[in-house]
Amino acid sequence: MEGPALAPSLKNIAPQQEYLLQGSILDAHTDALLHRLRGLCDNAESSFETFNDYEAVYMLRNSSTTQQSQYVLFRVRHALDDPDAPDHIRYLGQAEMGDRSRPTLVRACLDVACSSNVREFLTEMGFRMDHDYVAKGIFFHKGRMKVLVYKIYRLIQPGSTDQKNLEQLGSSHLVELSVVAPLGQEQIGEDMKTFAEQLKPLVMLEKFDHRRLQ
Amino acid sequence: MQAPQTKEEKQLDISLDELIYKVRELKQSIAGFIYKLENEYQHISWPNMMEHFGVLSSQLNSVKRLLKTSKMPLLRNYVLFPLRLSPDRDLELEKLTEGRVMAFSHEVVPDYLRTKPEPEVEERVQMMSVKASSMAPDTTQKQLTNLNKITANLLDTISVPSASDEREKDSSLKNALPQTSSQQDTNLLIGAITKGHRLLRPEPQSPMVVGPQMGQMQPQMQQQHPHKLQMPGASMGRMPSAIKTNIKAAATSHPYQRP
Repeated sequence: MEGPALAPSLKNIAPQQEYLLQGSILDAHTDALLHRLRGLCDNAESSFETFNDYEAVYMLRNSSTTQQSQYVLFRVRHALDDPDAPDHIRYLGQAEMGDRSRPTLVRACLDVACSSNVREFLTEMGFRMDHDYVAKGIFFHKGRMKVLVYKIYRLIQPGSTDQKNLEQLGSSHLVELSVVAPLGQEQIGEDMKTFAEQLKPLVMLEKFDHRRLQ
Repeated sequence: MQAPQTKEEKQLDISLDELIYKVRELKQSIAGFIYKLENEYQHISWPNMMEHFGVLSSQLNSVKRLLKTSKMPLLRNYVLFPLRLSPDRDLELEKLTEGRVMAFSHEVVPDYLRTKPEPEVEERVQMMSVKASSMAPDTTQKQLTNLNKITANLLDTISVPSASDEREKDSSLKNALPQTSSQQDTNLLIGAITKGHRLLRPEPQSPMVVGPQMGQMQPQMQQQHPHKLQMPGASMGRMPSAIKTNIKAAATSHPYQRP
């Protein structure tokens, strides 16, 4: 990524919100969920669309303020199964629960494709890698809704995404239903809720309060 | 007319009136339903359809119940006998049938007053009964038990979910279906991707030097609460961040901001 090009291009991007519902499914029941999703989503006739991504999360602490808790996280992804694909950098804001009437989590979201030297670039800027993982799974889409069913792998030794170096986290697949849309589109939340209802009781997609993770 | 006869006739009149009333009600709901299907099919919703079906089935049931009551005389014992057929238009009949039957002619009477199936149908029924009677009794018995068994199984399968429907929704979900998701795993996975729980390197300043610490991390991995890990990286990662969700705010607080 070219440094000077970043700032003006950011200004041109309309503020996008990610509407998000999360849940998980035990590995043993994943097939049932995949079949159901295949029936519910678009492109039912084609085979599953898989992905295998390595994500590294870079953190920059704000040294100019006294508050040490201030930091910025940038998530850099690249596809392990498609080495020629550009890297992808993503900023995610704090997820907002909102009140009861709001059906999904909402968080600010910025996606930019970038070249593969983004890691060095971030490091030069003072970012440090906070953590990394490999996400491997299947994605579906229905209209503008995106459904991800994937497994998270921890890297046993840093730096290598070799299959032998991966250790699966938990015995479940993570399930995420998300839509990235401009601010103020509340209807999409309702659509997502309806869709999530159809996956019950296999998987309970809910707005997961990230503050519970503290 | 003699007294007992009038009593019987009165009874018949009353029950027939009742029956006609019920049938007319049923007819009206069917007509309403058909009208809705033909004209408002774009707006009709599934619950609405089910409502209509519910009404129809309850009306059919009440007609059936009415026919079974002891007050209802045995209609089978009454014979309707066409005295005169005429090809001329009968205004009275037309009014009674709401324009469906124009004349009491030889064309329509066999259809309306038929009490036996058509000859071809009768022939086929005859064939079936001959075939049935020609079968060996023990084969019949065997097939009968088989059918009964299948039916009983089917009934069981059907009645299990409907029984659990009556129970509370949540408890039925738990009883009828195996657990397919685990809240604990949800917490673990979401914690990992949003906060980096369990993924944090012990030394975030130098992520490449991890070798010796890995051994310490492994036992902690077994813990239920990954956030209890006392690591320098973790303490940053799980602060209730005061960070703004606005990208601009993040950019301005950026020490390496470009002009």
